[in-house]
Amino acid sequence: MLFWQMAWRNVWRYRRRSLLTVLTIALGLAFNILMRGIGDGFHEQMVDNSVRAGIGHIAIHRSGYQRDPALLKTLPDLSLLEHVVPQTPHLRGCSFRVLGDGLASTAGNSTGVRIVGIVPESERSVSTIDRAVIAGEFLNERMSRPALIGERLSQSLGARLHDKIVLLVQAADGSMGAQLFRVAGIFRSGSSDLDRGVVYLLRNDAQSLFSLEGGVSEAALLLHSSQSVAVAQQFLDQQLRGIPAEILPWYVVEPFLRQFIQLDDAFFYIIVLILFFVISVGILNTVMMSVLERVREFGVMMALGTKPGQIVRLVMQESVALALVGVAMGAALGSAATILFAYQGIDLSHYAAGAAALGITTTVIHPELTLRNLIVSDVSVVLVVLVVAFYPAIKAARFRPVNAIRHI
Amino acid sequence: MAQIELTNVSKTYHDHVAVHALANINLAIEKGEFAAAVGPSGSGKTTLLNLIGALDTPDSGAIRIGELEITSTPAAKLADFRLRHLGFVFQSFNLFPVLSVLENLEFVPALRGLPKPDRVHRAEQLLEAVGMIDLRDKRPDELSGGQQQRVAVLRAILPEPDLVLADEPTANLDSENAALLLDMMERLNHERAVTFLFSTHDPAVMSRARRLIRLKDGRIVEDQVPKR
Ligand SMILES: Nc1ncnc2c1ncn2[C@@H]1O[C@H](COP(=O)(O)OP(=O)(O)O)[C@@H](O)[C@H]1O
Ligand SMILES: [Mg+2]
Repeated sequence: MLFWQMAWRNVWRYRRRSLLTVLTIALGLAFNILMRGIGDGFHEQMVDNSVRAGIGHIAIHRSGYQRDPALLKTLPDLSLLEHVVPQTPHLRGCSFRVLGDGLASTAGNSTGVRIVGIVPESERSVSTIDRAVIAGEFLNERMSRPALIGERLSQSLGARLHDKIVLLVQAADGSMGAQLFRVAGIFRSGSSDLDRGVVYLLRNDAQSLFSLEGGVSEAALLLHSSQSVAVAQQFLDQQLRGIPAEILPWYVVEPFLRQFIQLDDAFFYIIVLILFFVISVGILNTVMMSVLERVREFGVMMALGTKPGQIVRLVMQESVALALVGVAMGAALGSAATILFAYQGIDLSHYAAGAAALGITTTVIHPELTLRNLIVSDVSVVLVVLVVAFYPAIKAARFRPVNAIRHI
Repeated sequence: MAQIELTNVSKTYHDHVAVHALANINLAIEKGEFAAAVGPSGSGKTTLLNLIGALDTPDSGAIRIGELEITSTPAAKLADFRLRHLGFVFQSFNLFPVLSVLENLEFVPALRGLPKPDRVHRAEQLLEAVGMIDLRDKRPDELSGGQQQRVAVLRAILPEPDLVLADEPTANLDSENAALLLDMMERLNHERAVTFLFSTHDPAVMSRARRLIRLKDGRIVEDQVPKR
């Protein structure tokens, strides 16, 4: 009714003050949306990197492997797994790998390494390691006993492309296995763990090295997004019920990454809390001043029969009008900024020199604009405004008309 | 039975010292009256009008307006009573600055829940009748002081209240505009039988009243129907 009109016009009655408040709300909200978007994008990319560097969104091992990864703990019922895993919903790719530890040696040096036996085509669908090759080639089945090693490992071993290396391992049957391999490719992934200490072999070669006779250590699954983990996990839990396998999402395999993300989120919420507090003070000031400047007007309204509840409503409506203008501006600004940065990417490589050591290889962040972020941010701003405006609204409704009318 | 009846009404303010703003007032006002409360500044006119207008409560005595005994009515109900039975005109700044003349007139009918087309129709009819339809869409700050007070009177009478209380409505007007306002009030009193109780300390305005209630130090010292 007439109240919305009054509220709307009252907002623009003190144009400059209202614009300033609207701007505060808009900038605060835009900042919130952009920062949340950067956070989400950063986290998703970290997960993506980590997941593609090896573990996958979901890893399947024999039960007990996660706690104590022993060579003998190979996947149970491989034929069932090879049948079920490719049907997982939201699956982008899967790789069945052999994992083990050993000693890599050249004529001059030797060092401990992690040995990963892969089927090149499957590995390609799960990890980005094939794209990290800087010399030679990614593995393929036509090569004879090829090894793909990291750049740092190649330096520490003094093994260049086509050089021979010897891998010495303790095999599954307890015997010592030692075989000769040829460096077919060198990669640089950006992750120091990978670059310094991993040797990729063809899966058959690895099985023979470890005397595994067809055994496989893990299945790594890559999904379309980390959002799909729950659905995929549920499917696998159901299909693989009864066999001694553990189906673990990335955040169980890499708890550190999840903890980092949670910590980062908590930090963000503290900043948002401070930001909202600052905005609240601005709004409280604006609404309070506009109420105190209109004491007489409220007195006249009440004399004419306006009830205290309606006065509260009017002041709240004014605040909502103010908030909605701010939210509209802020949401537009925040979305535009997020989309712009998502398109361009935010390059943090200058600040990320030490980050690789921590396993953070994400240096260009692409913020993400999600509907959820947008709605949550907008609604929280409106709620904050409603809560803050309540005090001045109650104050206005408590004026006694006789006194208010004497007030000039 | 009189429309308004005050019995032994007293009001004292305690502001450092006790000020007896009204002492032992007995007063009856009939439907259709055109009465003025007069007296020097501080004599208790505003206090009297506020008490009758249910904006304030007396310390002792009883006030009855129509059927309602104000002194024994809870404050929450008084707002509704004012909305349905009373009209108010104050000395100045009566109108809501963000609303046009038409919207100011709509305000009370809107509070009473009258649908938009009805209240617009009634407001326009009234503006037509008094020859002020040109001001329909003007904002208060575009009006002269005289025009503002006339619109305030129209806003008070539009919902057809039992009584219009006007506290020094001409105090901020020149004599010409004061006369115009009184003309309008007289006409509405005559044509629409609106009961008016207004206050003034201006002799020219007093001369227009059909009844003078003269106050001094919170007491009625004279209550007369002047000769015409
Ligand atoms: N809120 C108040 N607090 C203290 N004294 C008041 C208050 N309102 C009125 N008075 C005193 O009561 C007396 C009557 O005032 P009022 O009714 O305003 O007179 P008038 O309208 O005739 O000028 C005056 O002495 C005035 O100072
Ligand atoms: Mg007075």
